[in-house]
Amino acid sequence: MEAAASDRRGAAGALALPLKTAGLVLLLLSAVVLGTGLGSVTVPPGEVLGALWRGVTGQELAGNDVIVWQIRLPRVVMGVLVGASLSVCGGAFQGVFRNPLADPYLLGVASGSALGATIAIVAGWPRTLIPVTALLLALAAVTCTLILAREGRRFPPNRLILAGVVVGSVLSAATTALILRGEDRARQVLAYTLGDLGFSGWLDVLTVLPYAALGGGVLLLLARALDTLQLGELTARSLGVPVERLRLITVVAASVATAGAVAYVGVIGFVGLIVPHVVRLLFGPGHRTLLPLSALLGGALLVYADLLARTTPLSQVGIVTTLLGGPFFLWLLRRQSSE
Amino acid sequence: MKFPVLTLITLSAALSGAASATSYPLTLKDDLGRTVTVKAEPRRIVSMLPSTSETLCAIAACEKLVGVDTYSDYPQQVTKLPKMGGLYDPNIEAIIAQKPDLVLVSKYGKLEGPLTQAGITVVAVNPETYDEVFSKTLTLGRVVNREAQARALVTRMKSDIARVEILTRNVVRKPTAYLEIDPTPYSVGPNSFMGVLLTKAGARNIIPASMGDFPKVDPEFIVKANPQLILGVDAKTAGARPGWNSIGALKTGRVVTIPTELNTMLGRPGPRLPQALRGLAKIVHPELFK
Repeated sequence: MEAAASDRRGAAGALALPLKTAGLVLLLLSAVVLGTGLGSVTVPPGEVLGALWRGVTGQELAGNDVIVWQIRLPRVVMGVLVGASLSVCGGAFQGVFRNPLADPYLLGVASGSALGATIAIVAGWPRTLIPVTALLLALAAVTCTLILAREGRRFPPNRLILAGVVVGSVLSAATTALILRGEDRARQVLAYTLGDLGFSGWLDVLTVLPYAALGGGVLLLLARALDTLQLGELTARSLGVPVERLRLITVVAASVATAGAVAYVGVIGFVGLIVPHVVRLLFGPGHRTLLPLSALLGGALLVYADLLARTTPLSQVGIVTTLLGGPFFLWLLRRQSSE
Repeated sequence: MKFPVLTLITLSAALSGAASATSYPLTLKDDLGRTVTVKAEPRRIVSMLPSTSETLCAIAACEKLVGVDTYSDYPQQVTKLPKMGGLYDPNIEAIIAQKPDLVLVSKYGKLEGPLTQAGITVVAVNPETYDEVFSKTLTLGRVVNREAQARALVTRMKSDIARVEILTRNVVRKPTAYLEIDPTPYSVGPNSFMGVLLTKAGARNIIPASMGDFPKVDPEFIVKANPQLILGVDAKTAGARPGWNSIGALKTGRVVTIPTELNTMLGRPGPRLPQALRGLAKIVHPELFK
């Protein structure tokens, strides 16, 4: 029954795939255009184009040029980069763990980076150190999870998930304890845990890019193997997929990309969980389409969410993604099931 | 000759004291909206807010304090008192052990329930706006039977403030200013406590009242507003933010971190308000205080 339904969906998806892909590309492009054109300061479209031209050609920037070229555009690019990273990682995690609740934060990356950021914030270290401590602790948290979950040379998925949950809880407790010690900085920590693209400049974009490119690139290459894994571990193994190695590489690649992203913009929730599901509902479950299309949709979604965050009182991008993403996802789920 | 004069002074002092003495039991509505009755003049008070501790000491009620919250650090006397925890982690057992007859709390804590159950009178006092600093000082004076002192303190504070305002009010060049209270970034609206002080110090706040009292500010808004003075950020941090090098304050080097002590005073709506204003005015208009 279910297989038949998924076949039908797959067939319909195959027919409409180029069209729907074009739709996603358009969605991303519109997000970039609106994200660059709109903001809390009104800049006429002509001036936006002029600013972009002067920025690209390296001319001197004056007035609104600075806002468009040095603040908005890097913020939008960062949104695309982070949204795409989180969504690809989320899709890969859901695939490799064959668990619909998996998201990029499953193995403790988020709690690790939150703790790292909190340490830097509460200790009053320079702001530039925050991403560094966040990145280090995010990677340390995943390493910890891997060590705890290891069983000889194997990393059984259930043990990984459990170890990740426990590592996450322990680190969250440590974060909370620190927040309460430095009460007057609680809001800064809270803002970090809700995600913020506010001060992302070109330098930050260039720093995050390698993590996203490396992690995301590796995951895209693993798409076919992830498809085979959906047939079950035994089948995949008999078809020649090195399941253990696949799992380890996926976990490491996704964690590197996620850690790089959250270290700079904070723990933006929900994107990594929801975007792959939306793509799966619209295009079917194959990872070779799922992962790249998740990148497109995730990038677009985060830029739109950030646009709302900076122009409405919702104020933090993580609030927008969860507040609007949740109901939208439920609506999509109901619509699909009633069809 | 000397004796009768002294008697007269003592007598008149006693009379004026009697004229403004609080009559107990005193019933009032506190900042949690509860109607509270203070049965007799409190003699053992625990203060759970730094601004309340400061006010009590400024109206000659410091010796009534038997405990304060962790953050109370002024004046010197209160630093020696037993600490009863902070807003989120108050030590209820320690408070009760001090056998206080009055606990002054913040309306944001959750102390009123358990302490009232323990039979202790609890009054919530939270000055938040500029005007409330004065009205709550008078309230505290009434509660602890120091009305005359409270009134004298308010008069003194207002005249100290006027002395700064005389200088700043008619200044020709008032710089546009951005005051950052945390690097997320959050700033203050003109109607907030700090916002009022900023205006009185002779600056033009770039945040309009419509944005609220403690708005989260979009960085591009700040770049567009192009303030001539930036307070609460260090020059290095500000310079590292994308696009901020184009802001006037960075070009002229008028990016000033607020000294810790002044920062504490600015965040504490209490008797040191005039000092806070003077400190801020010195940063905004150093030329007036040479």
